[in-house]
Amino acid sequence: MIEIKKTYKNYVGGKYVRSESGKTFTLSLKNDSYEVPLTSKKDIRDAVTSSKKGFQNWSQISPYTKTQILYRLSEMIEGNKDSYTELLISGGSTRNQAKKDIETAIKNIVWYAGLADKWEQVAGNLNPVNGEYFNISHQNPIGVVFSLNADNNSLASLLNSILQPLTVGCSVISFSEESSIIALKFAEDINNSDFPDGSLNILSGQFENVYEDISKHVEINLVSIYKEVPTEILTKIQENASNSVKRIIYMPSIDGISSVLPFLETKTVWHPKGT
Amino acid sequence: MVNWEYSESIESQDIVSIKDKYQNFVNGKFQQPNSKKYIDTISPSSEEFLSKIVISNEKDVDTAVQSAQMGFEKWENTTPHERSKYLFKLARLIQERSREFAVLESLDGGKPIKESRDFDLPQVAANFFYFAGWADKIDLSWGAKSLKPYGVVGQIIPWNFPLLMLAWKVAPALATGNTVVLKPAETTSLTALLFADLCEQAGIPDGVVNIITGDGTTGSLIVNHKDINKIAFTGSTQVGKLIQKSLAGRDVGLTLELGGKAANIVYEDAAIDQAVEGVVNGIFFNQGHVCCAGSRLLLQESIHDEFITKLEKRMQTLRVGNPLDKNTDIGAVNSKEQLNKIQELVNEGVSDGGKIFQTECELPGNGFWFKPTLFTDVQPSYSIAREEIFGPVLTTLTFRTPQEAIEIANNTEYGLSAGIWTEKGSKILWTADRLEAGVVWANTFNKFDPASPFGGYKESGFGREGGRHGLLSYLKAES
Repeated sequence: MIEIKKTYKNYVGGKYVRSESGKTFTLSLKNDSYEVPLTSKKDIRDAVTSSKKGFQNWSQISPYTKTQILYRLSEMIEGNKDSYTELLISGGSTRNQAKKDIETAIKNIVWYAGLADKWEQVAGNLNPVNGEYFNISHQNPIGVVFSLNADNNSLASLLNSILQPLTVGCSVISFSEESSIIALKFAEDINNSDFPDGSLNILSGQFENVYEDISKHVEINLVSIYKEVPTEILTKIQENASNSVKRIIYMPSIDGISSVLPFLETKTVWHPKGT
Repeated sequence: MVNWEYSESIESQDIVSIKDKYQNFVNGKFQQPNSKKYIDTISPSSEEFLSKIVISNEKDVDTAVQSAQMGFEKWENTTPHERSKYLFKLARLIQERSREFAVLESLDGGKPIKESRDFDLPQVAANFFYFAGWADKIDLSWGAKSLKPYGVVGQIIPWNFPLLMLAWKVAPALATGNTVVLKPAETTSLTALLFADLCEQAGIPDGVVNIITGDGTTGSLIVNHKDINKIAFTGSTQVGKLIQKSLAGRDVGLTLELGGKAANIVYEDAAIDQAVEGVVNGIFFNQGHVCCAGSRLLLQESIHDEFITKLEKRMQTLRVGNPLDKNTDIGAVNSKEQLNKIQELVNEGVSDGGKIFQTECELPGNGFWFKPTLFTDVQPSYSIAREEIFGPVLTTLTFRTPQEAIEIANNTEYGLSAGIWTEKGSKILWTADRLEAGVVWANTFNKFDPASPFGGYKESGFGREGGRHGLLSYLKAES
């Protein structure tokens, strides 16, 4: 009997979509090979449009609800452990490595779920200014984040390039190359959870095809790169970014509160005290 | 009719002694620079010659960076507690010589003595006091042990608050264990050079603070020096973008504090007289040479006419003239170049169709001056409503609903500051949440404090100066 094979597609605006270009590239895993979307410039533009809307909706959801939506994601992954394990093994992990990787991923989701209603207390504070003023510094999410996955056949590291901006209310365009299958599989869990459409878009492709566009796109507020890229490409990205003072972070911290700080803008509000 | 005439009350210049010519302050002493190129620094209020400063060349920048590298070794081996004491000592010395600095600041930069004496200098001292206390508490600041200083920091500062910008840069950099190569703006270098004296007096280890003068070419040499670990820049968005581009592909930290075009939103339920005062302070403070100036007045339609009448009346009482006169509200524009830029944008505003009001006042014959100016009947597309003028020019736009106010306020590539005027608390919080600006002043404007983080969203730059958040600009997370 012939086996039915899954077709992996990009995930944009809460829908599974092929690249508008119709192009794909081949990813060969141990037991099989897959044709996955080769994201085009137009796909990037569509994803940004969707992410802008996603940002508006996701950032306005209360911290308490964000916590529950993130926590529910860990429940989904828990329920799909087996299929992730098989994918990771097929990508080259041992069964034991795969198991650990998924455990780490779940642990991190739970950690960030619990941070969604706390980072503002940790990263903000009242400022003791000299004078009769109430003065408080708190944070806003920076906006639309483009994130390049480390692509090391790991669900945990995919999540480590998504959870930090997502937790604080940014929308994320997650881009994977070699590890696209895991990312596109993960899109199914996102689709089954309560994230608003566009808050997390998941794309596969070749970074060299899109880095010019994402670094020039003024509606992407921050580009985070979790994978080593050649200096010439990094230089070009940062040069393009300077045209709109876009924030670029390269190999950022994935640990503790410092992992979310790059995705925040600090806003300080003053008001006089008086009768 | 009230008589608003005042008798002159001129602050004496005797307290200040200016050398004919200055050298760079490197490795703990003033040193003969390699560059032979000097420029005159003049008083913008009289165009009189004050002194000569050097335009440092590549060799001079290199000497300063090397000195800062040696300084870093010493500073690293100075205990945090000792570093704290050095900064406290500097703070005290600034207080003690405060008047001397204030007079020099007003002479060299053109700002009213009232502001340099009562705002700039007290804030300078306060910044050193505030960051002095952090120097031995960095571990408490963000609860992260992995935060380390960058090393040698290049700092390039503007001419609008010369010594205060130095304080904003130097105090947190030293408190976090970095050493600095600082370049003041070429039109306002004198107070930074006098500050070098204080570093000697305080016994700051040689090489920890290096001050070299020069123009944009010198700034660019600092940015492109191979041994610089971090750049902190305050200035125009245009130059900020060039710096960000120059650092592309290099492992050099960067914080940028750039331009702004702040919306000052006045709702119909505001305390109108207070709002008029706040709007005047928001745009005419320091001749409008303020990156966070409230340069776009957003008036709710229903109060437009009443507000403009009161505003024009209040503007007419502003005294423009000699910066050293204690009565002066508005001093000289910092340079001929800046005056031309302001004039150009104002001309454009008039030809675009804006209605202009300027106060009736006599301007001194010498020096660079601009009358307090207000535009009404302005379309959001006019350049006076979009571009940073950096002068005493206020542009008025109107709105009908709070939602529309937010849209207009955020419809700019800048995001440094904003103002809100209303007596309704919930409206303040609703508005503040939606404004894309790093600093929001509600029922006040242009308030600053070393404990209060300052810095922008969007093209107004990144990173914060001041407060606990300001420490992060000088610390990197080491994995």
